[in-house]
Amino acid sequence: MFKKFDDKESVTGVNNAKSSVVKGVRNSLLESYPHVATYLDKIIGKKEAIKLVKCHDHIEVIAAQNGDLLFFRHRDGPYCPTLRLLHKYPFILPHMQVDKGAIRFVLSGANIMCPGLTSPGARMTKVDADKVVAIMAEGKEHAVAVGLTKMSTEDILSKNKGIGVDNLHFLNDGLWNMKGVK
Amino acid sequence: MASADVEKPFLEYSGPKDGVTYPIQVLYCGECTMPIEYCEYYPNYEKCKEWLERHLPQEFQKLTTGDGDGEKDDADDKKKRQTRGGKGMLKAKKKAEPKGIKMWTQSRGKKKKITTLVGLADYDIDLKVASKFFANKFSCGASANDSGEIVIQGDVKDDLFDILPEKWPQIDEDSINDLGDKK
Repeated sequence: MFKKFDDKESVTGVNNAKSSVVKGVRNSLLESYPHVATYLDKIIGKKEAIKLVKCHDHIEVIAAQNGDLLFFRHRDGPYCPTLRLLHKYPFILPHMQVDKGAIRFVLSGANIMCPGLTSPGARMTKVDADKVVAIMAEGKEHAVAVGLTKMSTEDILSKNKGIGVDNLHFLNDGLWNMKGVK
Repeated sequence: MASADVEKPFLEYSGPKDGVTYPIQVLYCGECTMPIEYCEYYPNYEKCKEWLERHLPQEFQKLTTGDGDGEKDDADDKKKRQTRGGKGMLKAKKKAEPKGIKMWTQSRGKKKKITTLVGLADYDIDLKVASKFFANKFSCGASANDSGEIVIQGDVKDDLFDILPEKWPQIDEDSINDLGDKK
């Protein structure tokens, strides 16, 4: 999604969100990521306004008041944490670990294929289709990418073919390199 | 696939781990911007190593003692398997090397001057913020335009030599070039 993203060209506008919008964001975050509850106030300050960064291709990024990018979403899709946030709070998303051979492909933006998730070096969390997951890597501590599952974990195991997880946001892509907003 | 389930149980989607203080501080490489454990996947790994050696010697030591064998394995792997035509490799980003700062004056009318300043953007300086700063400092009009220039009203070249390195330490005074008067 952010492979050809450039923070100078792709951003169309930044504005402060209304408090009702902030409330909506908080609620949907709590709903989709129950574990975030204890730290939500740390991530999004309770009384603090947040910034909505509108970008091309119907992408919307949520940033804290100090300009740190926190979450992004495409159209009305789920809010996904950015990798920088995910590195700080890895428990937000369920983890999917890919094997070592897949890392360099993921780092260049490839979607995660099923075999990369079922091989000996890989591990999965049980999730349904269309869920936001963190892509971890074999032998590494931090996440490489944020993805959206295309199949449930059972299907990935039984089919073992084709795209298992869509790659939304990976290390060194446009969003990763985007500077904080003012 | 039932056997696979037994071999490696599913990961748990559990909340914050006990004994870990969040937010976790992650060390990022200054060269490739990724967490340092991913530097090895960066095409310009050598540069990363240099950076690591200079900025985080401790981590560098861990790296060199830890994977002395690992590197050999990788090399063997590469020999055995033909790498696909560069597809799986991301290209190293070209970083804009600061080319130094240029400035010159132009005359406005008979006795007024404007100073134009080029090259600040290469030093990771926000031009808008910078122009605001100049306007404040010199009590004059200053503006940044899209082509990366800052135009300051009045002749302030001499002051800029002192102020630029002072405000932004990454700027070296020797890299500031005075091109004099332009018509």
